[in-house]
Amino acid sequence: MRQGESVLQRRISLTELLDVESFTEVVKGFVDLYKVGIKVFDEKGGKLADIKVGNGDFCGYVFSFPEGRRRCTATVGRVKDGPVALSHGARLPVLEVSDVPKAKGVVTVPCFTGLRYLILPIHWEGDSLGRVVFGPFFPDDLGDFPPASLKEISEGFDVANARRFVEKVRRAPEGTIARVLLHFSQLLQTLLFAGQKMFLTSQLHIEATLEQNRELEERNKKLEEVNTKLKELDRLKSAFLATVSHELRTPLTSIIGYSEMLTEGLAGPLNGEQVDYVRTIMEKGETLLKLITSILDISQIEAGRVRLTFEPMDPFDLVNSSVSSLRPQAQKKGVVLEARLPARPFQATGDRDRLRQVVTNLLTNAVKFTPKGGTVRVVLSDLAHQPDLNAQGYRIIVEDSGVGIPADQFDKIFQSFYQVDSSSTREFGGAGIGLAIVKSFVEGHGGVVRVASEVNRGSRFSVILPAIPSMQAQVSIAPPVTGTEAPADDRF
Amino acid sequence: MTLCGAIGPRISVTSASFGGTLLSVQLNHAQRELTVKIVYYGPGLSGKTTNLQMIHQRTQPDVRGRLLTVETHDDRTLFFDLLPVFFSTASGFKVKVKLFTVPGQVIHNATRRIVLQGADAVAFIADSRRSAGAENNSYWKNLNENMRENGLDPGQVPIVIQFNKRDLPDTRSDAELDEARKKGKEPIVGAIAIRGVGVLETLFAVLQSAYRSIEARAGLAKNVGLTEREFLTQVFKNIDTSGTELERLFPPKVKTP
Ligand SMILES: Nc1nc2c(ncn2[C@@H]2O[C@H](COP(=O)(O)OP(=O)(O)O)[C@@H](O)[C@H]2O)c(=O)[nH]1
Ligand SMILES: [Mg+2]
Repeated sequence: MRQGESVLQRRISLTELLDVESFTEVVKGFVDLYKVGIKVFDEKGGKLADIKVGNGDFCGYVFSFPEGRRRCTATVGRVKDGPVALSHGARLPVLEVSDVPKAKGVVTVPCFTGLRYLILPIHWEGDSLGRVVFGPFFPDDLGDFPPASLKEISEGFDVANARRFVEKVRRAPEGTIARVLLHFSQLLQTLLFAGQKMFLTSQLHIEATLEQNRELEERNKKLEEVNTKLKELDRLKSAFLATVSHELRTPLTSIIGYSEMLTEGLAGPLNGEQVDYVRTIMEKGETLLKLITSILDISQIEAGRVRLTFEPMDPFDLVNSSVSSLRPQAQKKGVVLEARLPARPFQATGDRDRLRQVVTNLLTNAVKFTPKGGTVRVVLSDLAHQPDLNAQGYRIIVEDSGVGIPADQFDKIFQSFYQVDSSSTREFGGAGIGLAIVKSFVEGHGGVVRVASEVNRGSRFSVILPAIPSMQAQVSIAPPVTGTEAPADDRF
Repeated sequence: MTLCGAIGPRISVTSASFGGTLLSVQLNHAQRELTVKIVYYGPGLSGKTTNLQMIHQRTQPDVRGRLLTVETHDDRTLFFDLLPVFFSTASGFKVKVKLFTVPGQVIHNATRRIVLQGADAVAFIADSRRSAGAENNSYWKNLNENMRENGLDPGQVPIVIQFNKRDLPDTRSDAELDEARKKGKEPIVGAIAIRGVGVLETLFAVLQSAYRSIEARAGLAKNVGLTEREFLTQVFKNIDTSGTELERLFPPKVKTP
């Protein structure tokens, strides 16, 4: 605990337990009822209540004599600060038999005037928190009044006066006053219990609130730190990508642009061979530009920044629009491009744009690796149970009659930057990123990609997709976050 | 544990002999006083308050305070309960045993942590029903976390586990309790707190382990003349042990109503 000691860990004082103002009212009421003065002190002698009744004139008269003042001060000191024990002039109170067990700890302190005090220690949970002083009262059992100890304080002491004043002091048997004191003690215990409850409740409420705030602040601080770090990494990555993209693309567009101007003869006529060379520069430039774009794509995926958005979509649309976007390229190259769709249309859920990119990438590859006169075919299946997924789904198959892929390369072609052999790069262009993107997106949907191929006969890529991807599949597109949870140490 | 006095400053003695754990013992012999703090911990409704109620019922009124239940301001969710038991040793040393319960509600974790501060031993009250296993585990973990947060080493504060509510269907069998015993070093007591079964046995086990832990740190027998036997006898001689396993060890003087 970073805070100070809890209120539960320390002793509570009488002033904390009692609300002094309302306690004084209670004591006043009690004094009015029983006509005995009551003083309450805490364990350090601090006064919590002091209500007098009846003895003012008498004590004032005694106090007016110097020796009376001396003896009075001594008695008051004894009562207030002396031990609540059978010593220093204190004795056991005279009690009614039935009260004896209840009056444990009560002592009687006689005053030199013949009056008396009763003192009750305030015990609380085994601690002594202070004392209650009852009196002075005029005990019934007192023989002569005034006793010698009072008369002797001065030559000028007027007995008749003293008798007149003492009439106003409560006269009762000691046992009766003791009983009133015990009654008061019960009341006090109840007040202390209520007071303790109130005090602890409010203190603990404050402590718990402070503790909660501390906890929250600590947690916030940690989160902030992590957040700052992540933001910094993110910023660095974005800056890097932006730089790469900008620094490469800008000169590339110049290369392409100037080449174009050269081929168009803007800088003077070129001979046939020169035009061929410059065209090659231009084409390779464009290839490079596409490559940079897909590198950016794959970095986004690898950074876990790609989130799929699943929504209802029409697989017919998906296939048709991909086919139309590849048609010019196929025509230019002299490759036949066919699409076969099932008889009945159906609906599915998925990320429309990403899936279009999947089909487009596959078609691009197929067209690229199929020689003039060959055929590229895309087939969309019916909606049916897919054993590969153990779920309802559909297949998109892209077949070509191209160069094919050796069987031992099937796994590797889906890795980023992998090419079947370096010669294929030279011949066909591309850096082998397209298939890595395809695999990520399809698996992000909870689907799978399969490849079948025969060298020099052609290849067939099958994309198997669930009709409705699960939400779990969606998160798997991000690379798994490292960091392991501590194993639960179960005791039960 | 607090050993304290009213006069003079409290001297904080820090013992670093337990693998660097901070065990702070506040010692002042002037007042000759020892406070032992026991915390009843566990999920909500596992029977913590019931345990204290049973102890309260069976303890002589002159050695215990009232059972205090402190509530939040809306008066519905309990904050904690407190039952003080006190006595003086033969050599005049004052001993206070404070039994606390923590609130079970998840949102009161801050209060749980405050109540747990400075605990000398913990009674973990679990619901024996098999269906309550996950809940028990989560509070067990919470106990360990809060101890650490409070700077207590969970390995150093003794814990006694009570499997309560063994009268209910789906409760763990004796064999399963034995299984649980094998899983850790904490003593395990079966209980039906509402009938008073196992309550005093749990109190005995937790007080005994608290004494031993304090003894190891502060040498109560040597420094204060308080032996384990006297400590336990002073408490249990004032408790009605009739019908419990403690009856032979501490024969009841008078039966409480
Ligand atoms: N059947 C059964 N009920 C119990 C037992 N012990 C406590 N209870 C009941 O469980 C409920 C919660 O008890 P309580 O002591 O307030 O739980 P706390 O939240 O841990 O303080 C109350 O209704 C108790 O009467 C027991 O051994 N058996
Ligand atoms: Mg409770």
